[in-house]
Amino acid sequence: MAEPLVQFRAVHKAFGTYVAVRALDLDIHRGEFMALMGPSGCGKTTTLRMLAGLEQPTSGTITIEGKVMNGVPPHHRDTPLVWQSLALFPFLNVVENVEFGLRMRGIATKARRDRAMLWLDRMQLTGFETRRIDQLSGGQRQRVALARSLVTEPQMLLLDEPLSALDAHLVIRMQGVLTKLQKELGITFVYVTHSQSEAFAMADRVVIMGHGEIEQIGTPQEIFRGPKTRFVAEFVGRNNILSGSVTDGMMTTAQGIVPVLSCDGPMEIVVAADRVALSRDRPAGAAIRAAFLSEEFAGTGIICYFETPDGAEWKAQVTEAQLADLQPETGQDFWLSWDPARVHVIG
Amino acid sequence: MSTSRKLDPYAILWRIPLLVWQGLFFVVPLVFMAAMSFWLVKNYRMEPAFVFDNWAKMLGRGAFWDAYWLTLGRAALAGLLATVIAFPASLFLSFGLGESGRRFALLCLIVPFFTSFLVRAYAWQVILAESGPVNAALGVAGLGPFTMLNSGFGAMVGYLTLVLPLVVIFQTWSLAAIDRSLIEAAGNLGAAPLRVLVSVIIPAAKTGLVLGAVFAFIMTFGDFVSPFYLGGSKPPTLTILIIDTTKSGQQWPRAAVVALAMIATLFAVATAALKAAYGRRG
Amino acid sequence: MKARAALGWVYLAALFTFVFAPIGASVVFSFNSDRFPTLPLGHFTTDWYARAFSRPEVWEAIGNSLIVAGVTSVVATFIGFATAYTDFRYGFRFKQAYLALALLPPTLPLVILGLAMLAWLSQIGLSGTLTGIIIAHVVLATPFAMAICRLRLSQMDPALEAAAWNLGAGQWTAMRHVILPFCAPAIVSALCLTAAVSFDEFVVAWFVSGLNRTVPVMILEILQGNVDPQINAIGTVVFLTSMSLVIAAQFMIFRRRRHG
Repeated sequence: MAEPLVQFRAVHKAFGTYVAVRALDLDIHRGEFMALMGPSGCGKTTTLRMLAGLEQPTSGTITIEGKVMNGVPPHHRDTPLVWQSLALFPFLNVVENVEFGLRMRGIATKARRDRAMLWLDRMQLTGFETRRIDQLSGGQRQRVALARSLVTEPQMLLLDEPLSALDAHLVIRMQGVLTKLQKELGITFVYVTHSQSEAFAMADRVVIMGHGEIEQIGTPQEIFRGPKTRFVAEFVGRNNILSGSVTDGMMTTAQGIVPVLSCDGPMEIVVAADRVALSRDRPAGAAIRAAFLSEEFAGTGIICYFETPDGAEWKAQVTEAQLADLQPETGQDFWLSWDPARVHVIG
Repeated sequence: MSTSRKLDPYAILWRIPLLVWQGLFFVVPLVFMAAMSFWLVKNYRMEPAFVFDNWAKMLGRGAFWDAYWLTLGRAALAGLLATVIAFPASLFLSFGLGESGRRFALLCLIVPFFTSFLVRAYAWQVILAESGPVNAALGVAGLGPFTMLNSGFGAMVGYLTLVLPLVVIFQTWSLAAIDRSLIEAAGNLGAAPLRVLVSVIIPAAKTGLVLGAVFAFIMTFGDFVSPFYLGGSKPPTLTILIIDTTKSGQQWPRAAVVALAMIATLFAVATAALKAAYGRRG
Repeated sequence: MKARAALGWVYLAALFTFVFAPIGASVVFSFNSDRFPTLPLGHFTTDWYARAFSRPEVWEAIGNSLIVAGVTSVVATFIGFATAYTDFRYGFRFKQAYLALALLPPTLPLVILGLAMLAWLSQIGLSGTLTGIIIAHVVLATPFAMAICRLRLSQMDPALEAAAWNLGAGQWTAMRHVILPFCAPAIVSALCLTAAVSFDEFVVAWFVSGLNRTVPVMILEILQGNVDPQINAIGTVVFLTSMSLVIAAQFMIFRRRRHG
């Protein structure tokens, strides 16, 4: 494989006594759409800001195209960023915003205006050149921000939760715009988000971060079905986690004793919510008992929430027909069962 | 937010001007004045020294303490009067007017703060004169004429002209910020309007009320125009004492003693008031 | 309810009358023929203006005031902006003390500042000069400029400056192309307001001015003599000047707030 575009090596970042990022090793390849995902405070934004030169690593090195970037100020890098707030300049009109990067690079007025207009056209913003920023809709602003970042034709584009301020239906549309754009341009996108639907819908590879460290790197599918740590299992998807110890194919947990297909010893298993079956009577095989709490309509089905006698929360995904069949009421006990061959073992 | 921990020339350029200017022309003059209070004056010339003569002379003089208590008393009275007089107006501005009306009224009240107090004091001199318009109007009603100038009353008119706008602004800010539902809740619970005022509105607006009173106190304490042009300058306040002492001969060290006594008083009052304003409620 | 609202209006009107009466009266008296105005008023005249503005020392004072206010506003606005920007962007040790230094001067009684200034400026040989007055006025006016600029910066998305760096602007370029344009209305506003502060200030100026009198110092010295309606004429002009400056300052702030 060719040399990665970006390499983080043992990168550490501390703000006073608070460690934002620790011992980070990460390769970002040419032309890939990489998502950095994690809860707030996990260090994903700091990682992105270090890449843009807005923060300097406390230790470790960051290289871009093989060149060590430590100490290089932001304006000497080619790492345009699309900001969470978009950070469009309110005192400039649309086209002046877009050509800002070219102006800073000393491109002549005529040439930069032409290139800005080209990008406005590409972003379907022709006719809006002289509008003020506050006269645009949320989606239009988003596209101005993209045009402003891309007008200098960079190697990579950094995006910091750019869709978080948009309405749900616009988010889906902008996801399409972004994926298409990335494929057409063939450049690297580094996309920071806390939303797994955004990350999984667009990214080639997803990096899950927690407490300043990388928890797992992989394709959306790998991470969704094969979480490597309890943190990832809890953060991603709708997973139920059982921990306990195994003797002779039986696992003793706080929720009961269930059969598993693994060797002896302590372990944690993940049962995805869409692989949990519900019944009123005890089925054969792996099952635990829990009281029904509530249901929630999600895009993919209905999620039912349960509480086990020891207070753990379990989720099961059912269809509408199944729900109508079961008629669950709050407090009623159910059996939650699964196929031991279709669980995932953490670690 | 900074890109590097080190101080670059850029950061220094923006940080230094204030330090240099306020250092050289605010802190140093005050320190110098403090040092000067220990100097000697011989044959109308100041000589650097470290003696307590000026302190002993000023603080040992009955006239100084008369001026001190007069100034302190007037400032306290002005703070109290301004607070009481401003309060109904602030109440109306906060609860009787809409957002834009209130904002416009406050903007108007900022204007006098930046207009010559001296000319305004002179206008009062004319208005309140023995034969002035006020006495002429009262005369029609068969009253007066009253002597209003060169008295405590005249000085108080000046003080209130100076401080009322600011007191109204402070009070209105804190009154308008009170959660309306708090007042409605109290009303719903059957509290009479006066009771709501005393037990809900005034405690909630305490910070603004105290700050307004303190600023009125500070401004009155340091004002010399009202006592000089409207109060008749006798008996003198501390500010008049400073001016007389400074302008007559080279007795600057003694004036510095008065100034330092004023600063100490203001500091004590401001500290106590801030504690009252931001301290625990009730 | 209605009665209470009416009472409120009456009270508010009374208070405003008290606050603005001297300003209004001064304007009215300046066009009134009586030397000692009373009710009923005398007849309309512009005589006081003609007399006041035919005096060369009035023009000299106006010239001094304009120089002092002009230079003061530029210097104070620069320092105020620099301080506001430092507060906005940087965190450092002793920042509280730094900000106290920026905001304290207006709380100190002017008479005390005047005395301290007089003593110190005589020590360094600047007492009795226009430079001395300017130095003192910058001390007094900077906090106002600082407050206005800080208010404006707090309305700015902090990502805006970083966005400029990210698009290839160095710190100085970002200052010129992003921070300054964003703060432009506040800067104009600060120029107006600091000019008004300087134009009206007479206590410190009186202490340190010597023979170089500004307009308010001249008024003060005339006042120590006899009642003279020329003061109303000069005062009206002073009122108009500072009020226009203050209203212009407010206009700049509020016009921009409306569109972001």
